[in-house]
Amino acid sequence: MSDDIYKPSAEATAERHRTGIDTRAIGRHVVLIAWTLLVMFPIYWMLQTSFKDSGEWVTWPPHWVPHDPTLRNYGQIFTIDVQQAGVAREATEQPFSVWAPLGDSLIICTSASLIALFMGTFLSYAISRFNVGGKRFRHSVLMIRMIPPIVIAIPLLMYYAVLIPYASETVLGTRISLFDTRFGLIALYVTVSLPFVIWMMLSFIDEVPYTLEHAARMMGASRMYTLRKIVLPLVASGMVVTFLFIFILNWAEFLLALTLTHPKVETLPVLLNKFQSASEGRLYGPQAAIGTIITIPVVVLGMLIQKHLVKGFSFGMMRR
Amino acid sequence: MSTSSTAGAPPPAGPFARLGAWLGQERVFRWIPFILVEGTFLLVIIVPFLLTVYISFLRWRANRPFEQTTLTGFRNYEQVLNDPGFWASLGRTFYFAGTAVVFELLIGFVLAMMVHRVVRGRRIYITLFLIPMMVVPVVAGYNFSMIYLDSGPLNQLLSPITTTLGFDPRIRWLSDPTAAQIAIIIADIWQWTSLTFLIFLSGFSALPPQLINAARVMGASRRQIFFWVELPLLKPAIIIAVVIRSMEALKLFDPVVLLTFGGPGTSTQTIAYYLWEQVWAFNKYSFGAAASILLLILFSVLIFTGIWLLIRQTEQVKKEGGA
Repeated sequence: MSDDIYKPSAEATAERHRTGIDTRAIGRHVVLIAWTLLVMFPIYWMLQTSFKDSGEWVTWPPHWVPHDPTLRNYGQIFTIDVQQAGVAREATEQPFSVWAPLGDSLIICTSASLIALFMGTFLSYAISRFNVGGKRFRHSVLMIRMIPPIVIAIPLLMYYAVLIPYASETVLGTRISLFDTRFGLIALYVTVSLPFVIWMMLSFIDEVPYTLEHAARMMGASRMYTLRKIVLPLVASGMVVTFLFIFILNWAEFLLALTLTHPKVETLPVLLNKFQSASEGRLYGPQAAIGTIITIPVVVLGMLIQKHLVKGFSFGMMRR
Repeated sequence: MSTSSTAGAPPPAGPFARLGAWLGQERVFRWIPFILVEGTFLLVIIVPFLLTVYISFLRWRANRPFEQTTLTGFRNYEQVLNDPGFWASLGRTFYFAGTAVVFELLIGFVLAMMVHRVVRGRRIYITLFLIPMMVVPVVAGYNFSMIYLDSGPLNQLLSPITTTLGFDPRIRWLSDPTAAQIAIIIADIWQWTSLTFLIFLSGFSALPPQLINAARVMGASRRQIFFWVELPLLKPAIIIAVVIRSMEALKLFDPVVLLTFGGPGTSTQTIAYYLWEQVWAFNKYSFGAAASILLLILFSVLIFTGIWLLIRQTEQVKKEGGA
């Protein structure tokens, strides 16, 4: 079913049979290849910049391929001394570590996505089978996703930095602040991913025929057993797709991470942004290397779930 | 439900079995996940919002502790509504979103139509066209900041045209007000055309081939088939694309920070950037709180309209699919 998208349409095949050479098809390919070049160009530029040494970052005319390719940028961000130069001579060669933000990003995104996945899956099951929360619940939950993040960020800043420390001091006697902590960001990411989990998992769970479950229940299986042995195996691939999807979203999240964490916790997008301002000094090469590190995993994950994305974004338009 | 009587058929043997039996109960299954999720929403969204409503009535800037603030009534709201920067950035946001979304819809539609008709290389085109959507927006912003450099590749590519027209080939993409606005719109189009392409592509592949064949047999021309058969069937996809993209485009923030920091002047400040600056750079907390409440009210009108359109569309599709 989800493979339909890759098969040529009946119309196109018929047309090719009718005429030997199809001028329309050639025209189409010209346009599509032109768009491919446009789409790939910024990514190519980042990749090749990541292999340029500091002298080549900004030149006129710009170098389309690095004349003197080097791994120094990667050495710099992973704090490995590629050139065996010992002490950095220039400011552009200062080593700065990507390890801590990489760890923060991985921990925050993985745990937030997993928690949201399990909470959302169980709720979707309840919605699908018992209509919990009413008929409109599945749509209204999407509203949370549509609120602009800046509108969430301002209240959360005050909540994390003022109300929770204030409340914890009066109740527990110690100041607990969620500002600039991994937990604070995880809780937030769970909340903003839940609407997507519910939306996606509902479409998978709705497809599991209720008769199957009913049969098992009639034969005396408990609800837990039925869920574990019948429903979960059938929606497992859907759960993987959903997990990867919200992982990509959380991995890319910038505004909330920028505003709610500052010195201690830092995700990769925030790290990349840090060197964009003039005060820190632009480090085009290492920035390109960080950009590559951020991009590769999500593009690979995205390609893995590509077919499901096509189905997921059809909102029930796809014929079953 | 009647099936609940069969739950917990094996006798509870230990604490784990008893826990299992408890978990197996109908009402537990029905309400525990619901309470968990709603509790999360309550704690992470609703409580902060109530706090924000309270703060928006205070007179509070960062230089004084929270405990010493005083109530000022609606003064913050007045300040926001009388602030030309607020309205200007709001207008700019709609201008950016509107322009970008129109281009994204048109380009995405044409690309999806072409890819739908392509015989060879479909899969490769789909894979490549979906990549921008997966690129982290911050990285996309960085990439474009490299391309827009005064001595960057874009100016080099344009230099044959610009020199013949008599311009300086070094167009200052990010420090000229108009050019910076165009630069941000282009970056947005680059990234999000892939999403409209994806939505339209799934719309095109959901078209029933029988209907189109029937139309052809009855002698309809290509153009007629497109306008009278395909386009009406694609209406849900178009509405979904418009709603999703507009809602997302109004949040525009990442490329602004990465490319221009709202500048030059205020020419690329979107509402998200403007509020961020007010709160995080100027520390005007209660002003920011009032502004975000006002913004939420404004956006909830848009969100309700969007959700209503989506619900109507999906229900219509279900009805037609079931018939």
